[in-house]
Amino acid sequence: MRDRLTLNWLILIALVAVTAALSTQDGRIAAAALLVLAWAKARAILGGFLHLDRAPGWLAAFVVPLGLWMGLVWALAAVR
Amino acid sequence: MDLEDLPGELIMWILIGSEILVFAAGITAMSAMRLTDPTGFADAQAMLDGRMAALNTVVLVTSGLFAARAERAAAGGDRRGARRGLMLAALGGAVFLAVKGVEYAHDLSAGIGIDAHPFFTFYFLLTGFHAAHVAAGVVLLATVAIRTTPDAVQAGAMFWHMVDLVWVLILPPIYLLG
Repeated sequence: MRDRLTLNWLILIALVAVTAALSTQDGRIAAAALLVLAWAKARAILGGFLHLDRAPGWLAAFVVPLGLWMGLVWALAAVR
Repeated sequence: MDLEDLPGELIMWILIGSEILVFAAGITAMSAMRLTDPTGFADAQAMLDGRMAALNTVVLVTSGLFAARAERAAAGGDRRGARRGLMLAALGGAVFLAVKGVEYAHDLSAGIGIDAHPFFTFYFLLTGFHAAHVAAGVVLLATVAIRTTPDAVQAGAMFWHMVDLVWVLILPPIYLLG
């Protein structure tokens, strides 16, 4: 697809659809998968809509801390 | 990695980073609080309607596409296209708020108030604070649509993507991780 913005939107919609399909599942693996999907959506917004794909290093500066934070959220959910 | 590499105004990135930190702090506090009453939090969370949250995610990411197109149009000198994109993005924000209003009305009619359970305190504070950002964004996008300079449109679109970004981050802990 030539339009990168539309492609990015389609990726986001696909991620939302997979999230909705997974949302009925319980357990630690499902929780991890839901957080990975949220991270992927955040990456798509930061990279595709906020144009960090074109800013060397800055995309990682946002998505790596977000990934670590999501790991913390998962751990807090998993220890219950 | 230089500051000059960042697209748009630096102040917008400071705002985006600050907002992510604020909402992340709220979600982390909620997740820690959940440890004190996991069953109560799970029961409270099960009362929410995740379908409306999913619908609102589709609405918000679609309005994000319109904001991004407005930014591209403004950069290319297409002020009419920019105005159309901004107004469609703002319309998406209005739809988001309407769906959120319906969801809150259902919650309240089911006896779910901000003090019904600590989970609902976090739920109303975090989603309410986010909805306030959506409302501010709708006003911002409509205001920028009046004067569609490339810099103004870019700043408005960046604010809107931040609102979108925060929503996808807070959604799983609030609605899905039971």
